[in-house]
Amino acid sequence: MNEFLEQFVIEVRDLAEQAADDLLALERDPGDRDRLDSAFRGFHTLKGAAAIVEFAAMGRAVHAAEDVLDAVRRGVRPAGTDVIDASLACLEAVRGWLDRIEAAGDLPADADAAADALVAGFAAPASTPAASPPAGDQGWIDDLRPRAPDATVALRLIPDADCFFRAEDPLALVAGLPGLAAVGLAPRRPWPAAGDIDPFACNLVVMALCRSTVAAVGDHLGPMRRQAEILALAQDPAGGLPAPAAALLQAQIALARVEGDNLAGRLGAAGRVAANVLRRLGRPTAAIETALAIGLDAGDPQPFVTAVEAALAGDARKAAPAAAPGTTAAARALRVDVERIDALVRLTGELTVVKNAIGHAAGMARDGGDARPLAELLRRQHAMLDSLTAELQRAVLAIRVLPLRHVFQRFPLMVRDMAATLGKTVQLNIEGEDTEADKTVVEALFEPLLHVLRNALDHGIEDAETRAARGKAAAAQLVLSAGRHGDQVIVAVADDGAGIDPAVIRRVAAARGLAPAAALDALPDDEAIDLIFAPGFSTATAVTDLSGRGVGMDAVRTAIGRIGGRVTVASRPGAGTTVRFALPFSVMVTRVMTVEAGGQVFGIPFDAVVETTQCARGDIATVGRAAAFVLRDRTIPLIDLAEALGRETKIPRRPLASIVVTEAAGLVGALEVDRIGAPLDVMLKPLEGLLAGMRGIAGTTLTGDGRVLIVLDVQGLLQ
Amino acid sequence: MTVTRDDDGVIHLSGSCPVEDADTLLRLLGDDPAALVDWRGCTAAHAAVVQVLMALLPALAGPPAGEFLQRHVAPLLG
Repeated sequence: MNEFLEQFVIEVRDLAEQAADDLLALERDPGDRDRLDSAFRGFHTLKGAAAIVEFAAMGRAVHAAEDVLDAVRRGVRPAGTDVIDASLACLEAVRGWLDRIEAAGDLPADADAAADALVAGFAAPASTPAASPPAGDQGWIDDLRPRAPDATVALRLIPDADCFFRAEDPLALVAGLPGLAAVGLAPRRPWPAAGDIDPFACNLVVMALCRSTVAAVGDHLGPMRRQAEILALAQDPAGGLPAPAAALLQAQIALARVEGDNLAGRLGAAGRVAANVLRRLGRPTAAIETALAIGLDAGDPQPFVTAVEAALAGDARKAAPAAAPGTTAAARALRVDVERIDALVRLTGELTVVKNAIGHAAGMARDGGDARPLAELLRRQHAMLDSLTAELQRAVLAIRVLPLRHVFQRFPLMVRDMAATLGKTVQLNIEGEDTEADKTVVEALFEPLLHVLRNALDHGIEDAETRAARGKAAAAQLVLSAGRHGDQVIVAVADDGAGIDPAVIRRVAAARGLAPAAALDALPDDEAIDLIFAPGFSTATAVTDLSGRGVGMDAVRTAIGRIGGRVTVASRPGAGTTVRFALPFSVMVTRVMTVEAGGQVFGIPFDAVVETTQCARGDIATVGRAAAFVLRDRTIPLIDLAEALGRETKIPRRPLASIVVTEAAGLVGALEVDRIGAPLDVMLKPLEGLLAGMRGIAGTTLTGDGRVLIVLDVQGLLQ
Repeated sequence: MTVTRDDDGVIHLSGSCPVEDADTLLRLLGDDPAALVDWRGCTAAHAAVVQVLMALLPALAGPPAGEFLQRHVAPLLG
């Protein structure tokens, strides 16, 4: 993706976010002039941004929204739900395009149809032009299609009856259409008797098919665009490549396949043409060039043919709808506070000073100077380097910090839609979205939060009648909040709904066989409520569209656990429920070596591992209960890991012992393990509760498959 | 003049026929609905002119000279 586009994606995301916010506020209070102005300005700026990157489809869509909001500002049109809905749909489409730009690194080529639909959505419901054809009547396209099967755009122009008086000639306009392939003409109304014909009243409907784009056709029409209906046609089998380009590529395949001499010459020529065609279309050529080189080397045209076929077909795949917006949570671009960048610049300067000092020391060593001052100099530089690298680490981690707004900003629209689906009135209030946390944490929050919000809307918040009967306000309040508490970030979702009834939870838990009824009855209420996080628990009596997709709150607990957080729930029956995530502010990723001992997998932090080796059992000396072996003339104490951790050793002793030599705080020791596994990056979670302070264990972490991995504290083991 | 009637009663469209020609053509065809319209010399015709041809469907002598008329319009009047 080029720099312009990167910047575009970042800015437009922010703008779209702000505009959506304004529109939602406007929906609550249609008289809010400031919000209206702000939304209007937002769309205006979006239009400008689209123009800069020449994204015409988006330009048209947001322009239509800008026009409508301007009409609202001027009091010509009321700020009704239709306006808000159409404007929000426009923003939603913009976000979808951004996701696709991020994924593909380029502007989506087929945004025109969506843009047209959006523009049509802004038409005032009461003032639909009389000439507007009935929706869905596309028989005319089928009539024209056989004459131009590869056309990509269909146009139906229904000029005003008095257009001839404005010196307009719809036919001349159509004759000049880009890529014109077929034309159809029909009377708009049946022709009158010869004597009654008014030669200067236009009674024509002009239809055309073009090999072009909706945007190009629209631009060509100019002011007559308003009297036209332009549709993108389903893409031809050549995967959206313009027909001539597809034909050219096919021809190169044929050329490469010709039997005979001079394969290199033919393949080279075909390769040049194919690459040029793709380059002209702005498509990647690397695959073809690589395949060409391989093919030339092997004297085989097949790799090249396959690559060209992929280019022909690959675009069909690319043209398929992109992943639903909202599933791509990872932000690729970060907005970084300039102060944090300045800190890095300053650190770089200081590192240069140390580098120069070390160069000076190297010079002293070369000249054979006195060793003592040299050692002193090096010691000082090492100390400085040590503190600088630590600072650098902190500064770099600080760059990874994101405000939670990043994930929160997606929810207002989703909550609005979900509430509409359920027929409930809900007001979502967001607090503390400026709270920051590590990028990993922020990005992992989307799905768990979405699930909790869904649950609150679906199961927590009552329908309107029930709320009225309980004397609650019709609009339910849903609060999504975040705050920093020490080194923790607390994110909470609170609703003022029905709350969780511990009795119901006990009953369901018993029915699901989670625990015997007697044990459940003995549980305090808060622990009973906590059972909603138990795997396989779901209190929904009816499976709805929203929740009940087989993913329970246990998935939320697992997801939050994976980033080192905890989930708790508090509820007062009748008054509401609060789900709280306690998350680490920063996530320290530790690289561990996995080892097996006594049938269990353990992790050993890599910075404590010196080397791995094997040792014949006969070479292990035992002194009382202790053991040791000799490695390169050095006696190293050896600990049987399974035994040290109190695990039974069931595996018969092999003649060669697998040994991990470790060092921590100056102590060198070796651990005998059953097997040495692959390295792993884990997020370490300190031990809590009963296990806290247990010697020899640094913490636990969840592996990708949900198992618990115990990470060893080597220092503790060696002492 | 781009619309003329010769002594045999054949109506000729020649060159580029502007919007006013629609009125003339309509009048000439009103006088003689069976008249032959020879548009072999017609390079372009305003939509109003084509509209008259569509409405009255006179007998045509073609093909017209203009490429757009020949490719896209003439087949619709056949």
